[in-house]
Amino acid sequence: MPLFLKERKSLLVLTALIFFQLILISIQVPLGYEESYFKKTVFSIFSPVQHGIISFFRSVGSVWRNYFYLQNVQSQNQKMKEEMFFLRQENNLLRNALENLKSEKDIEESLLRIHKNILAAQVIGFDVSNFYKSAIINKGSLDGIKKNMVILDKNGNLVGRIIDPVTLKESRVQLITDNESGVGVFSEKKKVMGILSGDGKGHCFLKYIHVTTEDISEGEEIITSGKDGFFHSGIKVGKIVTITKSTSLFKQVEVEPYFDIRHLDQVAVIMRDPKEIF
Amino acid sequence: MKDFIKVTLGIIIAFFLYTILNKISPSLIQLFNVFSLVVIYFAIEKNEIFGACLGAFCGLIQDSFSLGVFGVAGLAKTVTGFTAGYISKKVDVFPLLRSFVFIFVLISLEFILWAILYSFIFSGSINTGRGLVFFQPLGTALVGSLLIFLLRKIKGNNP
Repeated sequence: MPLFLKERKSLLVLTALIFFQLILISIQVPLGYEESYFKKTVFSIFSPVQHGIISFFRSVGSVWRNYFYLQNVQSQNQKMKEEMFFLRQENNLLRNALENLKSEKDIEESLLRIHKNILAAQVIGFDVSNFYKSAIINKGSLDGIKKNMVILDKNGNLVGRIIDPVTLKESRVQLITDNESGVGVFSEKKKVMGILSGDGKGHCFLKYIHVTTEDISEGEEIITSGKDGFFHSGIKVGKIVTITKSTSLFKQVEVEPYFDIRHLDQVAVIMRDPKEIF
Repeated sequence: MKDFIKVTLGIIIAFFLYTILNKISPSLIQLFNVFSLVVIYFAIEKNEIFGACLGAFCGLIQDSFSLGVFGVAGLAKTVTGFTAGYISKKVDVFPLLRSFVFIFVLISLEFILWAILYSFIFSGSINTGRGLVFFQPLGTALVGSLLIFLLRKIKGNNP
């Protein structure tokens, strides 16, 4: 083939590929934050590969720890770690719920229900383009995972919620630090309500706090209100670090989330709707 | 068939590295663009069409593991793959220093293109990871040039 035709062929392929992807980008605009089927399919194909790699490393590590390195101590330690993990979650969820409960029987029933509704999961990956936006966990629809389920870290602090795509053994978590996330929260002391949203850079902002509001202060804890219908009430979110007045109607309230992305390995999935759990 | 196996293996290795880097520290995935390395390597080895197609494929995989618009990384990597294949046919990019500069320029170009598209679509600034992302061209070029150098050495020893 002559050189000019060969070069033209290359340019045609490049143009076709760019055109295809521009169409792909533009058809997603009306979808908003809903994932396209094409994206879900690619994710479904490749997420098991990532899951497999992590499982392989975990198995190799497990063989080493279990057979060569203090077998009994390891199993005891593991058991205690698991127990502590569930206790932390229970403690956190119960702290707020106990205020509303009256009898001992109610408490026992609630305890049992909560324990059954916690599923431990491992983070197997983070968002490639911005790790403060989303994470991928190793539990999927086969484990009972559904969209909008709440995710907590090992200390019971809010991490985010399940969003699309949920595959058989993996699912995506939208982190509260994502700029498209929204959580109904209130301040611990004076119960000032607001909506918490991320900035995509590791921080969160408490939105719609009127400039005249004086009831919030730096260092105050932020807790979920449960008013949004997605997140259970009483979950610890973070701490107010700065409050700045601006020329707009609302104050700029910066919140530092409690969960640490660098140590986000094991997470807890709350398997029930906020209304069902208590 | 041989090419298909090679490319599949390349993508799996990129995936493997991406998962491991992610596990060590999420910020490391901002420092090394492993998928782009695969695209550039095969674009140099084959041609610009192969580079563009592989760029589109790897970019779409990367996009599927990201929250947001599907196709942004795909588009940026398509251009990277094509440019890598096109230039490497005109200039010898295999010497160590030259491959370093070549990858550095390509990754910088891809980053600029991706940042423009991202900012345009999301109407916001990108997460720079406290400036770490600006070292991505340097980090990727360093690893990429060494990798190409080593692979050429191995190939030279086993013709």
